[in-house]
Parts: sequence; C-alpha cells; structure tokens
Amino acid sequence: MLRAALPLLLLALSGAVAAEEPTQEPGALGEPSPGLALFRWQWHEVEAPYLVALWILVASLAKIVFHLSRKVTSLVPESCLLILLGLVLGGIVLAVAKKAEYQLEPGTFFLFLLPPIVLDSGYFMPSRLFFDNLGAILTYAVVGTLWNAFTTGAALWGLQQAGFVASRVQAGLLDFLLFGSLISAVDPVAVLAVFEEVHVNETLFIIVFGESLLNDAVTVVLYKVCNSFVEMGPANVQATDYLKGVASLFVVSLGGAAVGFVFAFLLALTTRFTKRVRIIEPLLVFLLAYAAYLTAEMASLSAILSVTMCGLGCKKYVEANISHKSRTAVKYTMKTLASCAETVIFMLLGISAVDSSKWAWDSGLVLGTLIFILFFRALGVVLQTWVLNQFRLVPLDKIDQVVMSYGGLRGAVAFALVILLDRTKVPAKDYFVATTIVVVFFTVIVQGLTIKPLVKWLKVKRSEHHKPTLNQELHEHTFDHILAAVEDVVGHHGYHYWRDRWEQFDKKYLSQLLMRRSAYRIRDQIWDVYYRLNIRDAISFVDQGGHVLSSTGLTLPSMPSRNSVAETSVTNLLRESGSGACLDLQVIDTVRSGRDREDAAMHHLLCGGLYKPRRRYKASCSRHFISEDAQERQDKEVFQQNMKRRLESFKSTKHNICFTKSKPRSHKAGRKKASQVFFLGPQKDGVANAEAINGKPPRDLGFQDTAAVILTVESEEEEEDSESSETEKEDDEGIIFVARATSEVLQEGKVSGSLELCPSPRVIPPSPTCAEKELPWKSGQGDLAVYVSSETTKIVPVDMQMGWNQSISSLESLASPPCTQPTTLTHLPPRHLVAEEPQTLLDLSSDPRPSFAFPPSLAKAGRSRSESSADIPQQQELQPLMGHKDNTHLSPGTATSHWCINFNRGGRL
Amino acid sequence: MGSKQTVFTREQLEEYQDCTFFTRKEIMRLFYRYQDLAPQLVPLDYTGCPAVKVPYELIGSMPELKVQPGPGDMENPFRQRIAHVFSEDGDGHMTLDNFLDMFSVMSEMAPRDLKAYYAFKIYDFNDDDYICAEDLQQTVTRLTRGELSAEEVSLVCEKVLDEADGDHDGRLSLEDFQNMILRAPDFLSTFHIRI
Repeated sequence: MLRAALPLLLLALSGAVAAEEPTQEPGALGEPSPGLALFRWQWHEVEAPYLVALWILVASLAKIVFHLSRKVTSLVPESCLLILLGLVLGGIVLAVAKKAEYQLEPGTFFLFLLPPIVLDSGYFMPSRLFFDNLGAILTYAVVGTLWNAFTTGAALWGLQQAGFVASRVQAGLLDFLLFGSLISAVDPVAVLAVFEEVHVNETLFIIVFGESLLNDAVTVVLYKVCNSFVEMGPANVQATDYLKGVASLFVVSLGGAAVGFVFAFLLALTTRFTKRVRIIEPLLVFLLAYAAYLTAEMASLSAILSVTMCGLGCKKYVEANISHKSRTAVKYTMKTLASCAETVIFMLLGISAVDSSKWAWDSGLVLGTLIFILFFRALGVVLQTWVLNQFRLVPLDKIDQVVMSYGGLRGAVAFALVILLDRTKVPAKDYFVATTIVVVFFTVIVQGLTIKPLVKWLKVKRSEHHKPTLNQELHEHTFDHILAAVEDVVGHHGYHYWRDRWEQFDKKYLSQLLMRRSAYRIRDQIWDVYYRLNIRDAISFVDQGGHVLSSTGLTLPSMPSRNSVAETSVTNLLRESGSGACLDLQVIDTVRSGRDREDAAMHHLLCGGLYKPRRRYKASCSRHFISEDAQERQDKEVFQQNMKRRLESFKSTKHNICFTKSKPRSHKAGRKKASQVFFLGPQKDGVANAEAINGKPPRDLGFQDTAAVILTVESEEEEEDSESSETEKEDDEGIIFVARATSEVLQEGKVSGSLELCPSPRVIPPSPTCAEKELPWKSGQGDLAVYVSSETTKIVPVDMQMGWNQSISSLESLASPPCTQPTTLTHLPPRHLVAEEPQTLLDLSSDPRPSFAFPPSLAKAGRSRSESSADIPQQQELQPLMGHKDNTHLSPGTATSHWCINFNRGGRL
Repeated sequence: MGSKQTVFTREQLEEYQDCTFFTRKEIMRLFYRYQDLAPQLVPLDYTGCPAVKVPYELIGSMPELKVQPGPGDMENPFRQRIAHVFSEDGDGHMTLDNFLDMFSVMSEMAPRDLKAYYAFKIYDFNDDDYICAEDLQQTVTRLTRGELSAEEVSLVCEKVLDEADGDHDGRLSLEDFQNMILRAPDFLSTFHIRI
C-alpha cells in the first residue's frame, strides 16, 4: 500500500524534480532497473516504516499549517481540511503517476488506525454520564442502526425497482441490505472529530458519541450476516440462518464487551504491582488495551466495543495505581496516537477518493442514498426519542433531536467496510464504493461544516466549563444516596438502587483487589476532589507567584487574588507531607543565640544569592528512571519553597485548632502560654504609639515588660473581643507582619541577588531548608522565641507523646505570632515611610508579602470555630478590596492585639 | 377499580390529589406500596383515616432484604435521615400522608424550589434551618462512611462552606443552598424517583 509514496512525498515535501518521478515509478513497484540499483536497495530496507513516518509527518505538518490561522480552524473542522488535503495530495499522485497508488487499506485501518482512537475515547469517556444515559445510547446504537440499515437498504432496493437506479447496478435486495448495513453506522472517528469542536452539552455528546461506539457491534454483525448471505446466495439462506444472525448479534456485542472487561481487569490488576517499575506503566496500558482489541478481532467479536469497555472499565483503577507521571504519559500518548490516527485516516480518505478506477458512478444511487440516510436517520431519531422520552427523566427536546439526526456522520469505518467487499460476490461493489465515498464526504464536509452554525443558530445548550467544585461533588453523592435511600424505603429496586449496590460492591471487593493499598486510601471521591482542587489551587498559586516574582522581579501583581487562591492549598500539602511537617517542627526546639541569627541571615543571603538545588545526584543515563533536568529541578525547588512557606503559616493554623481542642494539658504549658500572652500585651500598647517604640530593637521588650502587663491581660482580652468586628480586617495584618519578618532578609538577599546575573535569587525565598525555614522567626524575634523553645524542649522528655503534642501546639500557637511582634517593630519605620511614598514604592515594599502571607485560614483557625465561621467569608471578601491599603495604613497594633485573642483563649483553655 | 373505592373515599382521594402531584392511579399504587411495608399494620380501608404509622424499623426493610445484612453491607447512610425528615414528628415513623409527601416531592412534577427545600432539610441535621459546619460534617462523614479522619472531614467541610456561603455568615442558609443548587441545573433535574 505504501509503495509509491516516495515520489509523492518527495514531491510534496521537497519538491523534487518531477521528471525523475516517472522513471522511479516502475522501480518502486518492484522492477529493479540496474542503473539505480544501489539507491533502490537501500530504499527497500526502510521503505515501509519510512513511509509511515513520512505520512504521519505530512499529516502533522498539515495540522500545524491549518492551525496557523485561527480563523480557518474556527470555521472549518479539521477533518474537512484533512480530507481536502488528501484530495489534493491524491490528485498530485494521480497527475504524477498517472495512477492512483494510494488508499486507505481496511487492514491498516482496522488494525492500526482505529484502535488508538477508540481507546482514547473509551478511556476518557465520562463513565458516569455514559452509564446514566446507557439506555438511550443502547437504543440508538442497536435499534437505530438496525432501523437505518434496513430502511436504507430496502428503500434503495425500492428505488432500483422503481427504475431510478441504472440497470448496470446489478444488485438484489440482499446487496442493498448489505450496503445499507455498512452505510448506516454512525462513525466514531467522524463524530468525535466534528463534535469535539462543536461543544454541545454533555448529554447530547455522550448520546451521539456513545451510539457511534456501541453501534459497532451491530454494524459488524449486520455486515457479516449480510455478507455471508450474499455469498451464500439468497436462495440458500434458511430460517436458522436468520436466527443465527440474531444470536450472533448478542454473541458479538456481549462477547466484545466481556473481552474488554476481562482485559480491563487484567490491566488494573497488573498495574497494581508496578510499583518498582513505574516506567512501563504507560506501556502496559497500551499493550493490554491493544491486546483486548486484537483478541476481540481474532474471535470476530466487536473489537471497538471491546477496547471501549476496556478503557472505560480500567480507568478508575489504573489511574489510582499508576504514578502521576505515568498518568500524564498515558494521557498524552493516548491523545497523540489518537490524533495521529485520526489525521491519517482523514487524509487517506481524501486520497482514496481520487482513485477513480474503483469508482463507478450512478447518480440515482448516490442521490438516493444521500437522501435516504438523512431522512431515515432523522425519522429514526424522532421515533426513538419519542419512545425514550416516555422513560427519560430529562427528556430530549426537539433541538437535541435535530442535532442528533444531523450529527449522524459516516466515516472511515463505512469506507473500509465497503472496500472489503468481494467484487465477485457483490457485482455492484464499485457503485457502492463511489456512493460510500460521496456519503462520507458529504457528511464530513457538508454536515461537519454546517453543524457548528446550526448548533449556534438553534441555541443548543453548550457544554459549559465550570470549575469542579467540592459542593458539586458532595451534593452529587448526597443526592445519589438520597435517591437510593428513597428507593430503599419503598423497596423499589430502580436504577439508583443498583448503582448504590454496584458502588458498594466496587468498594468492598473490586477496589480492594485492584488498587494498591496506598491508592485505595485516597480514592474516596470526595476527598479525591478536595485533593485535586487543592493541588490545582496550589499549582496555580505557585505558577502565579513563582512566575511573577521571577519575571518581573519587584513588581507585584494582584495580591488579593493570590491570597484567595492560596487559602486552602496548603492544607492539602500538609497532609501529603504530614510527617515531614512534623519533623520540621523539631527544628524550632533548638535554642538559638544571636550569633545563630547572624548565621541565619547570612545563610539566607547566600541562599538567595547562590542558587543550588539540594538534590541528590541520580544516574542521568538510567533507562528506568527519568532524570529531571536542571530547569525542572529548579522549578520544583521553587515550588517546594513556596509551598513550604505556605505550610509554615498553615502549620500554626492547624495546630492552633488542635490546641483549642486538646484541653487536657499540663499546667505548665498552660501557664507558659499565659505568660506568653502577657508578653504580647505591652507590645500591643507599644505598637499603638508606634512612633515612639518602633525605633527600638525587639530585644528591648524584655521580660520586665511582660511582667508589667500581666495584670491587664483579662481586660485587654475583653477589649479585643469588643473590637472583634473591627479586627476582622486586621487579620490580614498578621500576614503582613510575618512577611516583614523575613522581608528584611529578603531585601538583603536582593541586594546581593541584584549582583547576580541569574534571576533565580529573587525567586528564592529566604527560607529554603527545613532548618532555615524556622530561622526567620528565630532570627527576628530573639529572646522571646528562645524562651519558648527552651521551655518546650524541656517538656518533651517528660512524656513523649503528650509532650510532643504540647510542644507542637504551644510552639505553633506561640512561636509564630510572637515572631511577628519584634519584626513589626523593627520594620515599622520603613513601612511608614512607604505609606507616604507613591504607588510604585508601595508595590516594592509589599513585594515579599504574597510569599509570606498567612492564608486567611490561619486567622480563621486561630479563633474558635464558631467565631471563625462568622468571620472568614467577610474577611475573604474584604481582601481583594483592601489590597495594599490596609497593608500600609492600618495600625499594626490591632493585628497584634488580635493575636492576643488567640493566645488568651489558648491560655484559658 | 372497586378496591379503590373501599380504600379511600372520594373526598380523600381528591384531597390527596390536591395535596400531591399525583394522579389517582399513582396514589393508589403508592398506597399499595405503603401497605406492603407493613401488611399487618396498615389496614386496607382508609376511609376512617386511621392513625397508622409504619415504624422506621419496617421502612426500608423489604421482605427480601430482611435477611441480616452482611458485615460489609452498609446501610444507606441517608435512609434514616429521610425517614426522619419526612415523618411528621421527626421520629422516623411514617404515616401514609408522610409517605405520599415524600414521593410527591420526588416526583417530576414537583417544582425545583420544593425539591431544593427538602434537600436542604435533609442536610440540616440539627434542624436549625441552616446548614452549618456540623451538618456538613455529618453529611461528609456519612457519605464517606467514616473513611476520612475528623480532620479531613472538617477540611472538606470548610471548603464546601467557603464555596457556597453567599452571605458569609459561616453557614448555609436556604438561599445559599438554592443558589448553589439551582446554578448547576443537573442536580435537581435528576432528583426524581419513578415508582
């Protein structure tokens, strides 16, 4: 099949001299001529794979060219363009070789081109939607296809009897039925190609597309039965043969589906054990799915059905089992293969059409077929929909029906089937081929072109891409359960009941069997959605933050958005690396001196200045592992650092919760807390008249101050409570102060960083390692933190478990807020200066803020639950509005006092 | 047809028709369903409006399910809640009226607002007319059948609240809930039961 393509490609790609082509032509066909022997010998070695590769290359290049212009692709579906390109290429071949050499071979099509497309569609089929509409899909696929086949075939026969078809078309009723069976099936490739660009609503899409996939079984059976009837001759067909035909429908479809499910099971089971050899995971997916296809094909079952079911069935378990990277690999490879196959199919369709030697035109037949398939498709859809709507909860309205009937595209499957016909048995094959080509071209080009405007004109409900929300997931589940429960209450075993049962079965047996234990844990869907949302948030946050910081250096984009995005992202990361976070806490326990602080500052400075990913070296040439390149590592590093900072702030939040919950705690811890609280008091006062104090270094606020205010604490707390409405805003202030704490270091880092050529120093936050991460606090806050740390470290040995908990909670609740104090003070002067500066400077000053910002959840969690629930949303809402303003104008004292609330409460508890 | 007359009086049937979204035939069918729940308790003659309640223990335990559920067999997490919401006095024991009510709400004729209202009530475990964090936690715990830790549940709930809380009072009022539910039209369009 690929024989004469070299000339074509040379022509198409490099514009080889046309005169040379004809001389090569016989050679390429296998008659070696001595003059060019050497060349030809080499060519034959690589001919087939070379041509395949070149074909795909041509197709891909064509795709690139099409997509250069947005206007064209938005108006014309890609499939149309590819067919037209195929026509042009075929025309060139014809002109050059005087003979059409090239066409879509059924063998190639069914064995190599079709499976990737079907696997892709099966694997990424929204299973829930599919099964919810299974009834409708099956009806259209089975009844619809049968109806189309028989009516079209019979009507064409009638047309012939009526004399509208020329008498040279020698075909009986059976021939027409055979033709009807192959022309009636809606083609998955064409439907997918066109509908993917149209974006109709999901239900409509899944019905049309599901039909096109599932009708394969019917098509295959009808085709085979009719074909064998034709071969046997109408006279020899007996009643039992009809029965067998009906029976084979069930065998082929159910058998195909069964093969698919068996392989899905095998695939899921295999991926359960690939923990050590992650690299072959994607391969397994493709191999087993392909094996399912071939097995079904071998047993002459419905291969499309088989691979669809395989993809559909295995996805849940495979996705849970394989690694994240493998998942991406599978996704992209699958999409690439499918896209390649689709491109090649359409192009080859175009090329095949040029081959006029296989054509025999009959206007009556062609026109009749076109009219009949459109008419009977529409009629069938309307009739079936009418029946289905009696049962459907959400009826399909008229517009849906129009789109469904209009979306019945025919494609390469029909063409491949018609090519497979035996000319000796079916004398009218040439006519059928021509008609099929016209039908395929008409549906793909005319209908494909017009369906988009039609959909727009009819105002068909489009699919809207709303973000998945947790609410949606939650309510979906709840509603499912509620419906199942109501059915349960009356003992009515409907759809919901069975779905519920299936889910239970899946949970109890299948998932246990097919999923890794580690994967099984997070497979609870609600948590899964939560998890994914968090990941998305985190990534978008880091993308935004990291990117912006690195690219624009000092300028700061919309802070509010970033804050809101990040608000929950940390929770997830904390969970992921839960143990790691706990370990980090130990770092706090070490006592640090002033010298350490200097070291820390130096360290950060260096870290900011010199970028060095702390990665162990991996063998870069290992075949079994993919080594990350430098850029990737760097990105990862930035990501991690960003996340760590977020974690930092979050940890305190989280443990504050624990703290308020865990009442039984040692007296000592409680008192320590209390004293801590008191310590905060004076600072608040001090901050209130900030001008006076802010010049002071933090150390100046010694313990004497603490002592002095001890008595006032209770009243102060009351005060704070009364102010709570006011302090809502100031929750953000806490964020800013923390930022200040590290901003000092960062700014120093910048000074040094600016000397560097590499932009990375700016990206690098000053808290890169676990240990260093704690340092800003330590370095900034001095004696206070030391005091806390030493206390807590003392507790730890007393009772490991209890002491640990205490130290965590107390440290987290205490250490982090106090750290805001001194640094606030040290940095107040610059802040106030900045407040009067123009906006640009303001931006500059707030630069580190996003990276250090406490998520609102921190403040939220710091308070007691009821209180927090009242405040959070408002505060969130305020954030975007406040922007820089509160950053500069609000007195830091209020925020400080807000922290006081937490500690007071903690102390009391 | 004859049995219909003996079960309900004409007025009763008309009243039921007025109060529910059902036709006569459907009411009769539901009545037999109801009667099936506890044949020994529910009389076949309802003309005297007998004060019969089917105790919760009998609801949802159809004959074929009366076999002890296996150890892994999990009861539907919301069955009790539904019985609770729809029963008059909140004890889970249902009268015929409650029973009809329930299916009336679930029928396709019922307006969305009504459905949303009852869905809201089902969520509102502590009956304070707000879905608060506790209610959500209960829901999530039930949904996940205790597979998530308390902390995870509370995280999820926080997020759910964040997403849906339109007036920022830290709990979901009926308006919040309706807003959110009606925004995604798929929810209520499938919130039907056909018996």
